[in-house]
Amino acid sequence: MSLFFQLVVSGLTTGAIYAALALALVLIFRATNVVNFGQGEMATFSAYCTWQLMEWGAPLWVALLVSLAGSFAVGVITFRAVIRPLMSAPVEAIVVVTLGIFVLFQAAGMWLWGAEQRSFPSLFPDGGFNVGDVRILNSTVGTLVILVMIAVLMGLIFSFTRLGLSMRAAAFDHARSVLVGVNVERMLMLGWGFAAVIGAFAAILIAPRLFLNPTMMTPILFYGLAAATLGGWDSPLGAIAGGLIVGVAESLGASYLSFIGADMRIAVPIALTLLILLVKPVGLFGSYKVTKL
Amino acid sequence: MSDGSRSRLVKFGLFAAAAVLLPLLLPGYALQQVCIAIAYAIAIMGLNLLMGFGGQICLAQGALFGVGAYVTAILNSDYGIHPIATLPMSATATALVGLVVGLPALRLQGLQLAIVTFGIAAAFPQLLLKMGGITGGVSGLPIDGLEAPTWVPVSPELWLYVVSQCCAGIAALLVTLMLFGDVGRALRAQRDNAQIAEALGVNLTKTRLWAFAGSSALAGLGGGVFAIITGFISPESFLAILSINIVIGSIVGGVTSVVGAFLGGLFMVFVPTWASDINLSLGNLIYGLALILIMMVARNGVTGFIEKWLSTILRRTADNTASVKETREELT
Repeated sequence: MSLFFQLVVSGLTTGAIYAALALALVLIFRATNVVNFGQGEMATFSAYCTWQLMEWGAPLWVALLVSLAGSFAVGVITFRAVIRPLMSAPVEAIVVVTLGIFVLFQAAGMWLWGAEQRSFPSLFPDGGFNVGDVRILNSTVGTLVILVMIAVLMGLIFSFTRLGLSMRAAAFDHARSVLVGVNVERMLMLGWGFAAVIGAFAAILIAPRLFLNPTMMTPILFYGLAAATLGGWDSPLGAIAGGLIVGVAESLGASYLSFIGADMRIAVPIALTLLILLVKPVGLFGSYKVTKL
Repeated sequence: MSDGSRSRLVKFGLFAAAAVLLPLLLPGYALQQVCIAIAYAIAIMGLNLLMGFGGQICLAQGALFGVGAYVTAILNSDYGIHPIATLPMSATATALVGLVVGLPALRLQGLQLAIVTFGIAAAFPQLLLKMGGITGGVSGLPIDGLEAPTWVPVSPELWLYVVSQCCAGIAALLVTLMLFGDVGRALRAQRDNAQIAEALGVNLTKTRLWAFAGSSALAGLGGGVFAIITGFISPESFLAILSINIVIGSIVGGVTSVVGAFLGGLFMVFVPTWASDINLSLGNLIYGLALILIMMVARNGVTGFIEKWLSTILRRTADNTASVKETREELT
C-alpha cells in the first residue's frame, strides 16, 4: 500500500509541473481565446533570464522580480507585434503564428545560452518529510501551494473585479465589448502579459527539478494541453486539478498496468482525457457555451 | 468564362508546367526531396479535406502517414508484394485506422478534438517501438528499391518522381470529385453550421466519419509513397512533430486548396533546410520568423494570397473592358 501512496505522491510531483503550464495556457485562452503553443518556450526563456541575472550576481529574489517584469513586457510585445495584426484573421493563421513563437523562442534560447543543462536554485529549502512510509518533498508542496494561490487569485480577479469582467468580455466578443466601452486591445494585451508572467513562474518553479535547458518545456507541452483540456479551458483551478490527475494517472498507470509499462506511459493521460471528455466534452470544470442560431 | 474558373485555369496551367519542368531543372538529390514533398502533399490534401472543408481538426495526420508507410513496408518486406501494389492496401488500411481515430470527433470538436488526436500522434512512435515484432522496432524496415520498367527509359530518381506525381494526381482528382459532389456540399454545410446542416438532412455522423476515412486514406497513400521514396523507415520519421509540421504545411499552403497542398509539402521539406543554409546556428530562428511573417502577409495561406493577387489583376483588366462598355452604353 505504501508503494501506491508513494506513486501517488510522485505523480503529484510531476502533475504539479503539468499544472503550472496548464495554468498559463488557460489564462491566455480565457483572456484572448488563443491557445499559445509557444507558452512553454516563452516561459523557459524567462527562466533563462532569471538564471542569467543570478549569474551576473543578482540575488534570487531580485532576479525573480526583474525577470517576471521582463516576462510581462515580452508577453505584451509579442501580442502587439504578431498577434494583434492577426486578430481578424482565421484561427488557423494564429495557430501557425503561435507555433512560430514556439520555434522562435526555443531557437533564441539555444542561440543565446547553448543546449547544455544548467542547474537552477530552488525557491524552497531542500529535503522533505515523511508521512508514514511516504516521502514528500518540500518543493512539491511549495510548488503546489504557490500554484493554487495563483489559481485562486486569478479566479477571484476574473469573477469579482471589473478588470476580470472586462477581460472575459474582451475574450468572448471583441466587437460587442467595444460597444459597451471595454478597451479590448488593452485587455488582450494585459492577458498576454499576465499569462507570460504565470508561465515564467511555472518555469522557475520547475526548473530546479528538470534542469534548465532550451527544450525543458517541450515534452511537457502535450501534458499541459491535456491537463488544460481535462480541467476545462475556462477554469484556473480546473487546470491545476487536470495537471494533478494527469500526473497521478501517468504514474499509477505506468506501474500497475503491465501492458503499458514505462515506454507507453503517455497513453494513460490520453486515454483518461478521452474518457472524461466523452462523458463531459467541455472538461471537468468547463462550462458549456450557449450559442444562438 | 467567369473570373473564378479563369483564375483556376491559370493556376492549373502554371502548376502543370511546373510539374513537368521540375525534373528537367533539378539534380537527382533535390528531385528526391521534391518527391518527399509530394508524399507530404498527399497527406496535406487529406488534411485539407478534413480541416479546410470539414472543419474537423486532426493533429494525428503524421501518425496516419506513418501507418500507411508501415503497411507498405510490412507488405513489401514480409510478403514480397511489389511496392506500388501495396499502395491501395496501405490507403485502405489507414482509412480503417482513421475511422477509429475519427470516432471521438462525433462527440468532441475544436480544441478538445485537437488535443486528443495530438495525443495519438505523441503515442504513435512509442507504439511502433512496443510492437517491435512487426515493425522492426528502432532498426526500422527496408523497402525494395523501385526500378523503372524496361519500356520506360528513365533514371530511377525520375521514375520515383513520376510515380509519386501520379499518386498525387490521383489523390487530387479524388479530392476534387468528392468536393464537387453531394458529399462535398454536406461536408461544407456541417462545417459552417452543424445544427442547420443537420436540420436540412445532413447526416453528421456519416459525413464526419467519411471525412476522416477519406483524409486518412490520403495520409496512408502519402505514407506509402514516402516509404517507397526513402527505401527505409523507422519510428524516427514519424514523431509527433511530423503531425504539427503537416498542419503547418496545410495552413501555410492554404487549407481549402489542392494546389496549396503541394506548396505546403514543398514548404515542409525546403524552408527549414534553406533557413539553416542561410546560417546554421540561426536556422530555427529564421524558420520561426518565416512562419510568423508568412502568416502576417498571407493570412489565408500562400494560395489564398496568390488567388487574391491574381483576381485583382484579372478584375483590373475586366474592369477596363467593362468601363469601356459602360461608357459606350452611356453614349448611346
